[in-house]
Amino acid sequence: MSQSRKVYGLGAEFESAASLMSAAEKIRDAGFSHWDVHTPFPIHGMDKAMGLGKSNLSAVVFVGGLLGFLTGISLVTIPSFFIYPMIVHGKPYTWATLPAFFPIIFELTVLFSAFTAVGTMFAMNQLPRLHHPVFNWDRFTRFTDDGFLMVIEARDSKFSESRTKALLEEIGAKNVTLIHD
Amino acid sequence: MSHSTESSNLTAEQFDPAVGKKLSSISFAVSALGLLISAFGLFASREQFAFSWLFGFMLIFTLCVGALFWTILHHATDSEWGILVRRQMENVASIIPALSVFFLPLLLLCAPILWKWWEKSPGADPLLDAKAAYLNHTFFTIRYVLFFVGLGGVATVLARRSIAQDKDGAPEHTYVMRNAAIIGLPVLGVCLTFAAVDWLMGLDYNWFSTMWGVYIFAGTAGSSMALLVLIVTGLRNAGYLKAVNVEHYHVMGKFMLAFTVFWAYIGYSQYMLIWYANIPEETIYFKIRNTESWHYLSTFLVVGRFFIPFPFLLFQSTKKKPKVLCGVAAWMIGMQILDLYVIVLPSLHQTGISPSVFDIASIAAVGGAAAGLYFRRLSASCLFPKRDPRLAGSVNLHN
Repeated sequence: MSQSRKVYGLGAEFESAASLMSAAEKIRDAGFSHWDVHTPFPIHGMDKAMGLGKSNLSAVVFVGGLLGFLTGISLVTIPSFFIYPMIVHGKPYTWATLPAFFPIIFELTVLFSAFTAVGTMFAMNQLPRLHHPVFNWDRFTRFTDDGFLMVIEARDSKFSESRTKALLEEIGAKNVTLIHD
Repeated sequence: MSHSTESSNLTAEQFDPAVGKKLSSISFAVSALGLLISAFGLFASREQFAFSWLFGFMLIFTLCVGALFWTILHHATDSEWGILVRRQMENVASIIPALSVFFLPLLLLCAPILWKWWEKSPGADPLLDAKAAYLNHTFFTIRYVLFFVGLGGVATVLARRSIAQDKDGAPEHTYVMRNAAIIGLPVLGVCLTFAAVDWLMGLDYNWFSTMWGVYIFAGTAGSSMALLVLIVTGLRNAGYLKAVNVEHYHVMGKFMLAFTVFWAYIGYSQYMLIWYANIPEETIYFKIRNTESWHYLSTFLVVGRFFIPFPFLLFQSTKKKPKVLCGVAAWMIGMQILDLYVIVLPSLHQTGISPSVFDIASIAAVGGAAAGLYFRRLSASCLFPKRDPRLAGSVNLHN
């Protein structure tokens, strides 16, 4: 790999989920913001150890759901109540017959929420993308097997090749490697 | 997971037996008062007594069966979160066998009043004749016995094994409870469904709804989870179960939300299918309940059981506030009372709401006795399964 390429960040390996967890707490307390951990399985409590807050996804999904709900209401009431008012099954149009349209309103709410959730998730994770710099680290693939990895990005304001490397080694990291773009 | 190996560092907690005895005596006194008033009703106004008693009985029955449902679900899905609060569900579910006694006044003295098919002779109504294989005295009584043997049996096995594990700490009990729960799941489904059909749907033998069983179940499970929240908070306020934290409240709140939505889904589906198809023998149920003054209660039920608790339960922040969650839980139990009231009483008072002192007396009589039995069990064992092998996982719960 050419050394002239831009530095993406530092990769570090830890021995176990527990040591990665305590390392994450230390990196969190050191004030880093652009970093991530990669493990073979989800570790309970890791989001707290990393200092991750609650995701904003639910708020966006709520807006999406609300939009679906309003779309559903407009779509059924405007034609059936105002433009082409027709009596079907002997049921007049008052608010009391609105239940006939509940399934449509409900389904549109669900549909819009689901689309918003998937779409926002993609946008938040900057997906789809074909390649990511972490794959330039030859040991990275171990995270699907037995690796407990941490990557600190160079764009973090606290990042410094030498000092961050020293910090990682101090908190128990092995094979601390510079990853290039 | 990593926390399975951690120790819980919890010391066994025992509810003060003196307080338990006092609470139990108070409850039995309330029950005795309720029984006295109800006994008066039995002679003075048997019709009103019959419907009021069915209403009170069904309220306590559903709350107890709901507790059994959560115990069963906990074991069958191999859950870890609720081990701390499981003993309280077991304690409530263990009341079920005793409830069989409270059904006897209905079966022995009031059956012809409640279930109009009881005294119809063959040939009087062709619609009833078609159902005679199911709606007859012998089979009805056999079913009553089967419901309590089935539900009570599962509840007793689960509670006994759990307490036995307190003594010897053997992990085999966990396996036995899991197997019993997996067998218990269909037993509970069948018993609760057919109990609802026999005792509530049977109030009008011509009426039927294929969603009736699951409708009753939806209300049952939701209100029982609400009851658990109240019991756990009560114990915490009395200085016990301090290991229960916001994470547990969050899980219980999520279940309350799930069953609030589920109740609305089932309740609405049942209503819409009947309303839209417009078949007279089906719509009669809603015709009675959506006209006269019953209309106000039916509408309030829809608003109160779904639209009011839903926004409270939707957000994580409110589920993590025990005080708010307790308020919603009390409200949900209130809605279960209203739900059963609107199911049972309109069959008697078709012309409109007619409150009676016997409605309250029956809740006091059955509920007081159930509470008395609960308080007895409360101080008889540790407040949580102290030697469950996975207790630590429940103590260190993370959502």
